[in-house]
Amino acid sequence: MLGDDTIIEVLEVRGQTVRIGIDAPRSVPVYREEIWLEVKRENQAAAEAAAGAELPDFPAKAPPSGAADRSI
Amino acid sequence: MSLTIESSRFGRVQIDPETVIEFPEGLIGLGGSRYALLANDPEAPFAWLQSLEDPSLALPVTNPHRFFEGFEVEVIDEDAERFGFEASSAMDVYVTVRAAPALEDFTANLKAPILVSSGRAYQVINQAPGCGLRTPLFAAPDGDSAPDAEPAC
Repeated sequence: MLGDDTIIEVLEVRGQTVRIGIDAPRSVPVYREEIWLEVKRENQAAAEAAAGAELPDFPAKAPPSGAADRSI
Repeated sequence: MSLTIESSRFGRVQIDPETVIEFPEGLIGLGGSRYALLANDPEAPFAWLQSLEDPSLALPVTNPHRFFEGFEVEVIDEDAERFGFEASSAMDVYVTVRAAPALEDFTANLKAPILVSSGRAYQVINQAPGCGLRTPLFAAPDGDSAPDAEPAC
């Protein structure tokens, strides 16, 4: 995803070929769009699956010794 | 002093304003700015990341280390610089959980974990190899490995 500060400029046009340059500020991550999109979709799916979902109440891992009598 | 937030799932909830988590860049694709981590039981394996701006937006999250031994987060340099987390401050890691009617179909997003430090959080792209977008949390009854027997990443 390119931010508002990213400049794409045409460097050279020769015949049928166009060279372009991407000048992104150091602070803008240039992720492959497909990764960003798949994460977005997974976030949305998790949010939708959450509606009405019952999360299992699994026992916690054994507490460190000495903490067994700690009340919550 | 407490803060009252609205949640479609939990109704009105009182939280300590000190525990509000700021996401400078929101969740990937979902945006938002302020979230609260809600859990009935601090020992429970799952908590809810509740949006303060949108009562209907809440995602189940879990600490990936509970389920995946050897889980690690690697980020590109640009991300580390942007977060500005100090090496010495404590950092919590959460991953979103996609619930399902059947337990064996629950999955966690190890590819885009959420890093929290000093009230600030970012959802990052994990560069560690083999971290799946939908990694099963629980082995199927006839599975051949325990949930935390081998690292997912």
